[in-house]
Amino acid sequence: MLEKIFNLVKALFYGFVTVLWHLFKRPVTEEYPEEKPVLNEYFRGRPFLNSCAGCGYCKRVCPADAIRIIKNERIVEKYIIDLKKCIFCGNCMFYCPSKSMHMSNDFALATNSKSGLQIDIINRR
Amino acid sequence: MDKMILNLGPQHPSTHGVLRLQVVLEGEHVVSCEPDIGYLHRGMEKLAEAKSYIQYLPMVDRVDYLSGFFYSYAFCNAVECLNHIEVPQYANYVRVMMMELNRIASHLLWLGTYLLDLGAISPMFYTFRERETILDYFEKITGQRMMYNYFVFGGVRHNILYLDNVIKIVNNILFKINEYENIITDNPIFLSRTKGIGIISKKKALDWAITGPNLRACGILSDYRMNMHIYDDIEFDIVMSNEGDCYSRYIVRIYEMRESAFIIKQCVDWLKSNKKIPEPSQIFLNNFQKGEIYSYVEAPRGLSFCYLNSVGESTPYRLKWRTGSYYSTQLLKELLKGCSLADIMAIYGSLDVVLPEVDR
Repeated sequence: MLEKIFNLVKALFYGFVTVLWHLFKRPVTEEYPEEKPVLNEYFRGRPFLNSCAGCGYCKRVCPADAIRIIKNERIVEKYIIDLKKCIFCGNCMFYCPSKSMHMSNDFALATNSKSGLQIDIINRR
Repeated sequence: MDKMILNLGPQHPSTHGVLRLQVVLEGEHVVSCEPDIGYLHRGMEKLAEAKSYIQYLPMVDRVDYLSGFFYSYAFCNAVECLNHIEVPQYANYVRVMMMELNRIASHLLWLGTYLLDLGAISPMFYTFRERETILDYFEKITGQRMMYNYFVFGGVRHNILYLDNVIKIVNNILFKINEYENIITDNPIFLSRTKGIGIISKKKALDWAITGPNLRACGILSDYRMNMHIYDDIEFDIVMSNEGDCYSRYIVRIYEMRESAFIIKQCVDWLKSNKKIPEPSQIFLNNFQKGEIYSYVEAPRGLSFCYLNSVGESTPYRLKWRTGSYYSTQLLKELLKGCSLADIMAIYGSLDVVLPEVDR
């Protein structure tokens, strides 16, 4: 009986000490809006495109059917990606033959309207 | 005494998803229980028939979002075996390392939420803190925290791995597991909530096709990592317990995390001492072989397999997933009979069921 009580007290004591020890440690949470997270080059955020040839491979490998390419004869006029549908898998980037598709570190995608998420991402310099 | 029907869920914080348990109560005691699944059905199997292999690959991570690498591996392995694609040994080791890290992350989440189900709050903060380090590492390597899309047919996406980070993470976790044990393992409240509760006998476990840590906690030696060829050169122990109650399931998972850390260390040593493979080329499969194949993996929640039937087209003819949680959920009907209302969540939580995996 005494041993049982001793074990009980010992277990509770160890538990409390471990928990209380954390009072004196630095918080591990991120202060998001003030401190921006450090993201790696592989992070898959908002996609952007340089000089598209319009081959349509990205459209073929897209699992969510989010890509629409509007061509005028052989020139790409608009490359519209629907970020509502996009699942940010990165397939379009991985399988682009000319490696012109990229995904940026921008993860804040909120807009005021639906049309703000259907964007023409082609970069015309 | 009058019987009362109680609906637990579908919106219940302890169901880890959307599960409805229709429980018939007689006073405090459960007379019968009927689990109602299907709220999270996304048609993962039917989707495969409409999408090409490469289109389907990112979706595989979503079968179970807590252990995406395992399902990715099962699917990639099935396609590779069917089409005779060779995977370099380096990539195999990278896969094992990632999968074991994922196993630790999955078990950590289970530990935190299980303790939360039982009424303890602090352990959740601690386990999520360590899980965060693993997820940060995954984000660094694969680009996302949960939906990785990192394994490809014939290897992995790239091989810039920051191996020193892995060692740091693993050492930290090994240290922190001791901390969890200080708080939890001998805690009298935890013991009285879990010891002798929800006992699964060996026969019942085999009858209901339970796999993974839940089966090992019943005292049955079963770990499909023993048969997987990527684990051939890796040493590890299989963690077992004999009681089959909630407490032994907890013990099995705690020790499994240590074993996983041990496996990761071996992988890192191997990867450091061997030459890197060149960047894997993006295989764009066009000619698919006919045939059917069955590939399996020991996921954190039990044996998972991917059955793939191909008729030579660009899409699979039929794809079938077997997931561990589905079988654990079935068992609830038997397991909850006769227990008290307060024990329902203690038993259900200990089985480590993830609902997206059940419904898929």
